[in-house]
Amino acid sequence: MNETRLKPKIGNSITKAMGNYSFVLIFLVIFIAFLIINSGATTWSGVMNILRHSAVVGVLSFGMGLVIITGGIDLSVGSMLSLIGGLSVVVFNATNSPIITLVFALGAGIFCGLINGIFVGVAKMPAFIVTLSTMLIFRSIAQYYLRTMGLSIYNMDGTLSSYNAMYGFGQAKVLTVPVVGIALIVVTVIMVYVSTMTKFGKTVFAVGSNEKAAQLAGINVKRTRVLVFVITGLLCGLSSFLWLDMNGSVDPATIGKSYEMYAIAAVVIGGISMSGGKGRLLGVLFGAMSYTIIDKIIASLGFDALINDTIKGSILLIAVFAQIVVPAIREQVRKPKSL
Amino acid sequence: MLEMADISKSFFGVPVLQHVDFSVEHGEVHALLGENGAGKSTLMNILAGVYTRDSGTVLFNGEKLEHTTVKSSESAGIAFVHQELNLFNDLRAFENIFLCKEITKKSGMLNKKAMIQKAGELFDSLGVDIDPCAMVSELETGKKQLLEIAKALYANAKLFILDEPTTALNNEEISHLFAIVRKLKEQGKSFVFISHKMTEIFTVADRYTVLRNGEFINTGNIADTTPQEVTKMMVGSKYCEQAAYETRSCGEPVLELNHLSGHGFTDVNLSVRQGEVIGFTGLVGSGVSEMFQTVFGVLPITGGTLKIRGSEISMQTIHKAMKRKVSMIPSNRKENSVIQDFTLLENCYVSEHTLSEKLQHIFLRKENKRFYRLEEALNIKSNSSGDMITSLSGGNQQKVILARWLNTKAEILLMDNPTQGIDVGAKAEIYKLINQLAKEGKTILVNTLEIPELQQVADRCVVFYHGHLQTELKRDEMSEETVMLWATNAINSSEVAQ
Repeated sequence: MNETRLKPKIGNSITKAMGNYSFVLIFLVIFIAFLIINSGATTWSGVMNILRHSAVVGVLSFGMGLVIITGGIDLSVGSMLSLIGGLSVVVFNATNSPIITLVFALGAGIFCGLINGIFVGVAKMPAFIVTLSTMLIFRSIAQYYLRTMGLSIYNMDGTLSSYNAMYGFGQAKVLTVPVVGIALIVVTVIMVYVSTMTKFGKTVFAVGSNEKAAQLAGINVKRTRVLVFVITGLLCGLSSFLWLDMNGSVDPATIGKSYEMYAIAAVVIGGISMSGGKGRLLGVLFGAMSYTIIDKIIASLGFDALINDTIKGSILLIAVFAQIVVPAIREQVRKPKSL
Repeated sequence: MLEMADISKSFFGVPVLQHVDFSVEHGEVHALLGENGAGKSTLMNILAGVYTRDSGTVLFNGEKLEHTTVKSSESAGIAFVHQELNLFNDLRAFENIFLCKEITKKSGMLNKKAMIQKAGELFDSLGVDIDPCAMVSELETGKKQLLEIAKALYANAKLFILDEPTTALNNEEISHLFAIVRKLKEQGKSFVFISHKMTEIFTVADRYTVLRNGEFINTGNIADTTPQEVTKMMVGSKYCEQAAYETRSCGEPVLELNHLSGHGFTDVNLSVRQGEVIGFTGLVGSGVSEMFQTVFGVLPITGGTLKIRGSEISMQTIHKAMKRKVSMIPSNRKENSVIQDFTLLENCYVSEHTLSEKLQHIFLRKENKRFYRLEEALNIKSNSSGDMITSLSGGNQQKVILARWLNTKAEILLMDNPTQGIDVGAKAEIYKLINQLAKEGKTILVNTLEIPELQQVADRCVVFYHGHLQTELKRDEMSEETVMLWATNAINSSEVAQ
């Protein structure tokens, strides 16, 4: 319809930018609330801790973001954390080498992602079902394997010579910025670059926007679908490694519990559409940090941690409300729905 | 029966309709004409209660329709049969008709028997061959259209708005639809008929009204005018471009089909030379579309050989086809070509990226430069390369898709129904571009049902019927009549009769 062309453009762009970057707004509101509640107790390292504690969930959320842009979903990220984290502890204890542990974690992540990717991309099974299955499988393997060793928790061997290097990495700071947080920033930069300035990144959006047209334009849809899951696996591997650095141990039953939900929430707060094709990965960073701040707020208010999810859930509802309902109402008020 | 007077409507202060008058008599088919964006849809949406008018009056059957909603206009007897059908695919035919008006037994249970019987009677009275219990998803498009009309008829509609009802129909279905329209006309029902196809308008309509840029231009009897005159009214003072066909010299054969078979077509022999424009035509299900898709690697080859520039292709994939400089503009632009969430630039580059993916980085400035060059060459009307493609009109969207393929340096262009759903002016431009591209040495295969358009561009015309290549017509044999005789296989049946 030509009518759309006739619409005035001025003014629209401001509200549009507000809509596109609403994640910054949400982050700022929560961050300011944090500053007010903490008032005098706020320190620079306290703020930096937000970055540090956002790292594990933040890194894997970028993978989730890519998958969701293609119109899929990956429910298995939390369980991947459990399986890869657990096995990485075993590898570390056996090799006493942080490098081999990192390589193993990344490799195992790629492998797990490939399993998801092949079922979804090549066999064309629904992503929800495939990753629901692997979610159950991965964590179960992690727990079962631990039981066969007669242990209740994967613990990094503190007597090993590299233990301090490994654990110290998780606590280290460069110019007062935690190294783990720097890792998150680096991943953010890379993922934003990949999603906006590379040809592969464009295929991810194209597949999510109109799969049929993407295929007829020459895009290898299968490959794109497999790759987004592989990248998610890879990032889960990195997340697992960061977790080990920070905590030194893995309880396969609790590690990464509900992380798939937090990751989805971070992606959605970041403004990525669940139906695919739309959004920016930059928002994921803000989405993940917003949730970390909520943890901090609850801790400093001295509330029971169990109230945590109530607040996180509510924030998610409000964020999505702002993204969907507000523009819809505005649209309704300003112009009738076009057919 | 219907009297719309002095209707005005603006969106955001931009007038879309200005003092438009429109009236429909009892028992007439009234063609509402105009290019895309002329305001036809807005006017009909006001009538159907989707939009509210800013000013003006609507009289329907002598009653004033004020502040109409979709419901109130429906109950007044106005039925809007939309281009994209409003049927529920997962329900049965009769369930669609009785949706929200179900016949129930005393116990509150559905009385399916009564509904099926009533639906059957309704179909019989229309002369429609639909099984009331058939799933809508299994009906052909033509029948869906008729089902929608039957549904409106059951709801006691007096005025039917048919918005481009024939785009998805084959000729047989079209004539069936028109027969039903005439039948209902005799019963005093009225129709507003929106279409871009002149031949149809001149077969079925009694009167016409032309809108241009939201203004009323003219109204009158179809019998008193000609297609040329009406087109002129629609296009206005705009230079009415006729793509001028020029004889051209063709080079070596670049595309050779030898007993080629695939899904939906068998045993096709054809040799296409470089720089040639070949028109393909055939009714829906003729197999041309499938043949294009097979050459482009969407569908597999099941028999025979395909040669591109002399080298034989056994396993064709889309990517391989693109590397061999073959491209395809698929039919149904909205579903198969346009990536809705992409800008013009991104839409223009999706295909090029798959060929140049060794270098993953996107050089925006370079891409923009090339885009604006293509934009100028193809006369794409847009504000900037960063605009969303959905903000363009259909014709301009199609030109962006054409730009997408020219951007891959494609030499052989397969165009499946390239002018589907675009207005008269843009159609002429597309065909002008085809001539221009052929002059530059591109080889172009066009599949369309619109013979007058083929006459503007094609060197020869290939007619398909039920998956078989029926005949090849030279330029001077490409009359609408001859083509239709072959396309409907009437030639063979008349021979048999003799």
